[in-house]
Amino acid sequence: MSAIELYLTLGVAVFLLSLHGLMTLHDPIRRLIAVNLMGAGTFLVMVSLAKRSAVPDPVLHALVVTGLVVAISATAFALRLIIAASKHDEENSEDSEQP
Amino acid sequence: MSLELLPDLILTMLLLIMAWGALYAPQRADAMTLFIGFGVVVALTWARLDAPDLALAEAAIGAGLTGVLLMHAARALPAELHQSNRTATYWGALAFAVVASLMFLTHLLYDDSLLSAGLLDAESDMTPRLRTLADAAVADSGVEHPVTAVLLNFRAWDTLLELLVLLFALNGLRQLFPDKRSGDNHATSQWPESLALMSAWARVLAPLLVVTGGYLLWRGSSEPGGAFQAGSLLAAAAVILRLTGLLPALRWSSVLLRLSVVAGALFFLAVAAATAIWGDGWLTYPDAYSGLLIIAIEVFATLSIAITLSLLVIGEREDLRT
Amino acid sequence: MNFALISLAVPLFAGLLLLLCGHALKTRTTGFLAIASTVVSLAAAWFALQTVANAGASIMLDLGGWETGLAIRLRLSSLSALLLLFTALMHLLIGLYAGFSRQGIARDFWHLSCFLHGSLAALWLSADLFNLYITLELLGLTAVAMVALSGKKAYRPAANYLILSLAASLFYLLGVALLYGRYGELDVLLLAPRTEADVITRLALLLMTTGLMLKAALWPLHLWLPAAHASAPTAVSALLSGLVVKGPLFILWVLWSEVAPPALAQQIGPVLGIAGMIALTAGGLSAMRSPYIKTLVAYSTVAQLGYALMALGLLLTWQLPQMHIALWLFVIAHGLAKASLFLAAGEMQSTLGTRRVDGLRGATQTVPVAMFAFAVAGGSLIGLPPSGGFLAKWVLLEPLLSEPGNWPWAIGVLLGTLVSAAYIFRVVALAFDRARINPPDTRTGRAGHWLALLPALMVWGMALSGEWLIQLLAGGGV
Repeated sequence: MSAIELYLTLGVAVFLLSLHGLMTLHDPIRRLIAVNLMGAGTFLVMVSLAKRSAVPDPVLHALVVTGLVVAISATAFALRLIIAASKHDEENSEDSEQP
Repeated sequence: MSLELLPDLILTMLLLIMAWGALYAPQRADAMTLFIGFGVVVALTWARLDAPDLALAEAAIGAGLTGVLLMHAARALPAELHQSNRTATYWGALAFAVVASLMFLTHLLYDDSLLSAGLLDAESDMTPRLRTLADAAVADSGVEHPVTAVLLNFRAWDTLLELLVLLFALNGLRQLFPDKRSGDNHATSQWPESLALMSAWARVLAPLLVVTGGYLLWRGSSEPGGAFQAGSLLAAAAVILRLTGLLPALRWSSVLLRLSVVAGALFFLAVAAATAIWGDGWLTYPDAYSGLLIIAIEVFATLSIAITLSLLVIGEREDLRT
Repeated sequence: MNFALISLAVPLFAGLLLLLCGHALKTRTTGFLAIASTVVSLAAAWFALQTVANAGASIMLDLGGWETGLAIRLRLSSLSALLLLFTALMHLLIGLYAGFSRQGIARDFWHLSCFLHGSLAALWLSADLFNLYITLELLGLTAVAMVALSGKKAYRPAANYLILSLAASLFYLLGVALLYGRYGELDVLLLAPRTEADVITRLALLLMTTGLMLKAALWPLHLWLPAAHASAPTAVSALLSGLVVKGPLFILWVLWSEVAPPALAQQIGPVLGIAGMIALTAGGLSAMRSPYIKTLVAYSTVAQLGYALMALGLLLTWQLPQMHIALWLFVIAHGLAKASLFLAAGEMQSTLGTRRVDGLRGATQTVPVAMFAFAVAGGSLIGLPPSGGFLAKWVLLEPLLSEPGNWPWAIGVLLGTLVSAAYIFRVVALAFDRARINPPDTRTGRAGHWLALLPALMVWGMALSGEWLIQLLAGGGV
């Protein structure tokens, strides 16, 4: 066993763990964290694959940089959307309590 | 198993436990903290895996900006409704992930179709062909650093679309502040007063981040670094200044703001169109100018990335609609 | 190729410029510019289609002039040219509706729809697995932003849609990473001859398929679709149902008909086919039970995608070129018909002031044009001759009926037809119930009703150009 196998396996494990979380958790924030961790797992797989040769593969590194930026922009949008949605839900439940 | 593997083993265990905690910690605040911590450890892992470009990007994005985002969420959100994380579920999750990935590992060890590549012989035939091509072509790409060459030359179309991803996410965020002022303000949150106390510290940190960002951009053509790393550091600086009240609200009605948000994508797209019309084809840079063009694109991209990311993290109605 | 690039770049430029100009332009001018850019893109797509038809084979473009395999490649096949044309046409029809209907639409709709158009064009033209991932993300983000256009009540469905869409993209990305790890290629056409049916390839294809099926709302991963599509503004629902779900379907088709080794494709074929058959019936039954008009139409998308999935499954199982034709005819016919259904549903909803199907009593009298559009478009979904839906279904059924061994599939198609007839007639029958009329809003302005009819008429007109379409697609589309 080598470091690459270890990180490859870790990537898969993190992906699976957070997939399980995505399917079982209800809180939207936790679900978003789960999606982000799935991303981290994927990137771990990609970076450990890049490390297979003595000089790491620049193509995979570039893909991960792209992936990271995609992930942060989508996460930011999703988080703000979740906050807006729960504020709306909260107001609605208050409205229904005081007709 | 050798002693060399020990740091990797520690990192692996740490990451696994933090990921597990970030999902199933009983308190949501703890889960968020663990997730931010996860980002920091991942940045270390990238460094360990010889990916300095990623370590830089992850440190700024994963640990910095995500941290601010989650802090915002923690303050703005009502308490969690579902406290029903039964013990069985989260032990089950861990067991599931560990067992399944051990199966994957066994598979890796016995059938090395995925790994045979570079492990036995660093420059064997199995090295991905794309990668071999990329190494050979870097010299003609106008920049020296292979990752930058891939990002801004060989796969420039990806990068152009990625600038659009940022822009589209920002556009999505703007939809949360509809044009009509309906009195109530959904996504707004008040930042704590205590942040203002940080301003002395911010006065030191922000310029430092700006300088580092500029340096990363400048050296991106020859060494690890580049538009994304620089852009995210600048965004972090803007976020800090904004949170401590040192930076006034950006206003969407200002042409300058809108211009800096679209500048990266617009300039990149204009280059693509210009090379298609007057040059040798879509995104085919003329040989003599490729280095210069790449730097120009990177400068505009950095500006757009910095502004867009910081708006995505802290943009409120006053930034995005007025 | 240049025409295709124009068709791709014009909407993107237009979107960026509209965003840059912001309030400097009047909302009317904004809409006009967006529609004008769509017209230019439509014309360019038409010329691109001519070019590729004359060339007789797909045209490849190595971006940056690098040698093949290093840079991203764009591919203009007759299929992608047709889809470019279809996308521009749909945007034009829906843009006209959004511009002229009485309800009007938020200003931001215009640049978002330009962005959506550009993202789809980028998707149809891409021949690179990672580039396809980014186009998927572009598509997902714009779609969510557009759902959020309809205000606070849509935030929750939009958030759920976004989270699932992100998770689905990551499934796809992990698959791409494994394929790259195994073969060292990202280009579809370079990867195609090299793939083998080993464990890593299987795992990668399985992951990618799961992600794409989730994105395309293919049964059994469709549960997010009705909430998201029904809560969006009318014009957006039409774009989402008519176009956006077709993007991941296209990638799924590329993946299995080109990248996957044929042996694996033959194994997965029946599974997809059966999922399609179940989707037809299950989606149809849900549509039949739905109390809301828009939810009914949204569930009908789930059902109709079943046909496409079934055609894909059978294409893979038998490697019959006819199924390829059927698949894309379904996609186009469904897109046009669904646009009409959503637009008509939205118009009826706002004129009659109700979201419920029950509220449509007497609609033939109160909103005759919109109801006519609904019925005509519904006719194409059922597959009544000589509509586009009929054309597609006929191409699909022909090989099924000729072999007795294939009759179970044919029965599935017929069952689906019956169910779709049931939910369309449920609405139409209510609309003819003139005894207890739901009074309409008396404000005038019925341009939207006529504009909702336009796509429905086009889908019936599809039959006229059926021969041309079939010949075009028979080229293999590759």
